[in-house]
Amino acid sequence: MTHEEQELGLLLSRVFENVVMTEEKSLQKGYFSDLSIAEMHTLDAIGPYEARTMSETAQSLGVTTGTLTVSIDRLVRKGYVIRKRDEHDRRIVRISLTRDGKVACRMHSKFHAVLARHILEPYSKDEKDMLIHMVSEIDEFLTAQLLRYDDDDDNEMSIRETAHDVAAQQRRREQNG
Amino acid sequence: MDDTGDPRERNLNENDIAKKKDMILDDIVKLVVQELDISPTEITPDMSIEDDLTFDSLQIYELVVDLEEAYDIRLPDDMLDSIVTVGDFVDLVYTLTTEELS
Repeated sequence: MTHEEQELGLLLSRVFENVVMTEEKSLQKGYFSDLSIAEMHTLDAIGPYEARTMSETAQSLGVTTGTLTVSIDRLVRKGYVIRKRDEHDRRIVRISLTRDGKVACRMHSKFHAVLARHILEPYSKDEKDMLIHMVSEIDEFLTAQLLRYDDDDDNEMSIRETAHDVAAQQRRREQNG
Repeated sequence: MDDTGDPRERNLNENDIAKKKDMILDDIVKLVVQELDISPTEITPDMSIEDDLTFDSLQIYELVVDLEEAYDIRLPDDMLDSIVTVGDFVDLVYTLTTEELS
């Protein structure tokens, strides 16, 4: 193992741990300390605007609807999510965020945006583009590695693809305003 | 409306805009009063939301979510970045509600 390989390996692990821990601590010390990171990501997958079905939200998160049901039950009890039957098709359950859920979701998005802003701040436009390009390539490589461990060939959605989709949806939501 | 239009009609239009902005300001003042427990007369459009009203990020997002709900609009973060005063909020809500109608 070369010095560069050793250093990059260590840095990748540290970046991952630090992002997760910063997110966790900001939640614990913030206004929404009753929410776990997983619950916050569930709110994020539902989004602050249109109501979503259980199945599309489960797909975005890369979990089964059974797992999501347990999580939604808890979020309904905590007052962050509303569950309603579709008026036209009673078989469909739609979930949306309460006022507190929307505020939590917006503040969480802001947290990620501020984190990214601070990381990019010292760089020129070209350097920012280069950094995003290189991190994207790392992400693509790791996504491919993850797929190798995916035993279920029919399961087209890897966890990472799902995370990527959620991020893309969020970007689209923000761009569409 | 271009500059060659009837000045009386133009004034009427400007009055409509001013009236609508006043209504938006009233709504924002009501929401701020609920949050801060101060008199509505103390709030003016030139006041800074963060520095004068001392709103923190939670209070700003509560206001944003309430305005989105009340006016059926979306106030994404990139638009909020340019908001400093109560008047900026009024102008943004006015612009978004007018865009929706046109």
